[in-house]
Amino acid sequence: MTGTPEAALPPGTREHLTSPVTQAALRIQNSITAGTREYLGMNGFVELQPPLIGPVTDPGCRGAKQVDVDYYGHKYKMMTSVILYKQASLLAFDKIFYVAPNVRLEPLETSTTGRHLVEFTQIDVEVARASREDVLDLAQGLLRHVVTYTLRESKVDLATLGRDPEAFTALLDEDFERMTHREAVSRLQGLLHGQSADAEIDWQGERLISEQTNRPFFIVDYPKGSRGFTDGESSTEPGVLRNFDLIAAEGFGELCSGGERTHEYRRLIERMRETGENPAKYAWYLDLAREGLPPSAGFGMGLERVTRYIAGLDAIWQANAYPKLPGIAAP
Amino acid sequence: MITARQLPEDAIRARAREGSAAIFPDVGGYGRSLFGADVDSGGDELDRARIVPPVFVPRRLEKMFDLAREPVYGDVGLSTVLGGFTAPSPVFLCAFGSTQVAGSGLGIAASEQAGRLGMPMVIGENVVPMHGYGRMGESAEDGLLGRIRAYAGAVPDGLGGVVVQQSTEDADAEVWNLVYSDPSATKLLETGRLAFELKVGQGAKPGLGGMTVLSRTAAGEIAEQYTVDEAFGTDTAMVLRSSSPGTFTGEILRQQIHLMRNNYPRARAWVKLHPGRDVGEAARVAWAAGADAVTVDGAEGGTGWAPSVFLDQVGLPLVECLRRVGKHDASLLVSGRIWEGARALKCLAMGASAVGLGRAALLAVDEDATEGLVRLVRCLELELRLLTSALGKYDLAELTSDDLWFPGSPGRMEQDG
Repeated sequence: MTGTPEAALPPGTREHLTSPVTQAALRIQNSITAGTREYLGMNGFVELQPPLIGPVTDPGCRGAKQVDVDYYGHKYKMMTSVILYKQASLLAFDKIFYVAPNVRLEPLETSTTGRHLVEFTQIDVEVARASREDVLDLAQGLLRHVVTYTLRESKVDLATLGRDPEAFTALLDEDFERMTHREAVSRLQGLLHGQSADAEIDWQGERLISEQTNRPFFIVDYPKGSRGFTDGESSTEPGVLRNFDLIAAEGFGELCSGGERTHEYRRLIERMRETGENPAKYAWYLDLAREGLPPSAGFGMGLERVTRYIAGLDAIWQANAYPKLPGIAAP
Repeated sequence: MITARQLPEDAIRARAREGSAAIFPDVGGYGRSLFGADVDSGGDELDRARIVPPVFVPRRLEKMFDLAREPVYGDVGLSTVLGGFTAPSPVFLCAFGSTQVAGSGLGIAASEQAGRLGMPMVIGENVVPMHGYGRMGESAEDGLLGRIRAYAGAVPDGLGGVVVQQSTEDADAEVWNLVYSDPSATKLLETGRLAFELKVGQGAKPGLGGMTVLSRTAAGEIAEQYTVDEAFGTDTAMVLRSSSPGTFTGEILRQQIHLMRNNYPRARAWVKLHPGRDVGEAARVAWAAGADAVTVDGAEGGTGWAPSVFLDQVGLPLVECLRRVGKHDASLLVSGRIWEGARALKCLAMGASAVGLGRAALLAVDEDATEGLVRLVRCLELELRLLTSALGKYDLAELTSDDLWFPGSPGRMEQDG
């Protein structure tokens, strides 16, 4: 990564689409989705087509507004993530994934992070009866496979973008480190960054800590109060969530979030209230949970973020054909 | 014209019209009439408490060391930090909610005057569901955005702030997410003058959610979100819209505050409690979780429309809330029939950091849409200065419950004698 986080804004549509950088980035993105489908297919996953709208969507997105849809007079939402549908889909299959579009009207301050888009795609994976540790292994395996696949299939495009394949040597050879949120906070405080112990790692902190490593790493055990109700709370350590973020090396920041899910009816109600949600609007989902949803774990990996990391792009909008940055009206 | 039978409406309107002249007896009678206190001042326990200046005033001597002259009431400093905002005096504007009286332009007029005064302003949680946000073709008049713009356009640099409420059912409208990502809130956000207030309850109907009387047509549009009740009979045009009160435990409150701080790191976090019997414990949970302010509405407070039995018989009066919260270092903001300096000072002496004007502010704006609230606040500020200096104090933080005497309370002879 060569640029500053305040990388330039996207040019006009014609200039963006005809740029060799955009074209190389989008071909690399093709390798990433192909590699993803190959890896998850080999491991017994069923790909489902994602729903786009629903009566509710994932509320656990910090400060981001949802998009309302007038659905025959009912207030529906565009998906901010398909998390609720992922849990429900486990009633059909034990291992599922989506390549799912999401829309989040992010706060304006995220327009200059270089890694927030309003409209983006997630590789959304869910596994019934899996533990967090199972899906940490799965996320590591998936990212390694995708990198191997892309280094093989997109050599020319990576060279066009000046991305050195050596950047991924440690990723391919060594296990990803796993540190707790508490350890990450104290590491950041050691770097004189004022990170709150009760909150998610802030965007600047994420970049700082990401700049210190040569391969991606996991932050696990976020505190309750930093995430939405779907993140499961530890049964042995109250207040600690059985979740994780996967952070890229070289300052590229977060690629993926996930963990074990809250799935028991009573716990869901409690966790909804703890996150300020009104259970009434989750009626369809709670009806399923009351009759039983399988315990599960999974994650959502940001396609444009992974593209940006593998291609070594300055800004995330370079990994999207029609980028929409927070607060900026664009086609 | 709006009315408020529980308040001395004529006196409030006089202040809104005439300014500080109205805090004195009619000056036309000066030199010709004899004045004295009303024999029965009535009111609640807080009104009946008296402010009791001492004979010996060591703090005045300290002030004289600073000034090298005899201090006077103009030397009382009123500037206050409340809930993370700087205010010229310990006064803020309470939420008017969605009551019809707060519509029809009064909300905008109040916002503009509050901005000019630099006083922090709370915007009610259901302004968005009832009046809209003011975007995408909705009228900005009386919507949330209109109020924020009116305030932000008038507020002096470095003073005041806007507080936007949200409660359980209004969370469906994502009021906070809307405001946090709207360009019109950017200036306030960047200068640390935006707060979000989690509405746990309100004074007028402790234990109930919000209630509004609506036409049948309007009710049909929000039927998915609220309970609609035929409380007034099926042959009337009006129905009752109710919100649920929301379910809270210590853990739920704690985690909701953590999440507010996590999701809106650049906004302040306020929490509004109803006058419940565990108000002290709830306030401590909120502060420990990182709330910048706790607002307590006494049972006498609220512009809200509520069943009479709740208005008359439910909830702790403000004075008892103040006792139960007790001494603390954090920001405690209170409201409940406050409109003049004495009741405000009594609240400050019992531990409040600031007081909120609710119905009185509405009356003042109704009386004079451009200057009424400004005049009412100036009157309150002048009385606060007069009263505080009479107590031999020049800093509001020095006020204590020793400055008050409650009728029927044990005399001080045993202690002092």
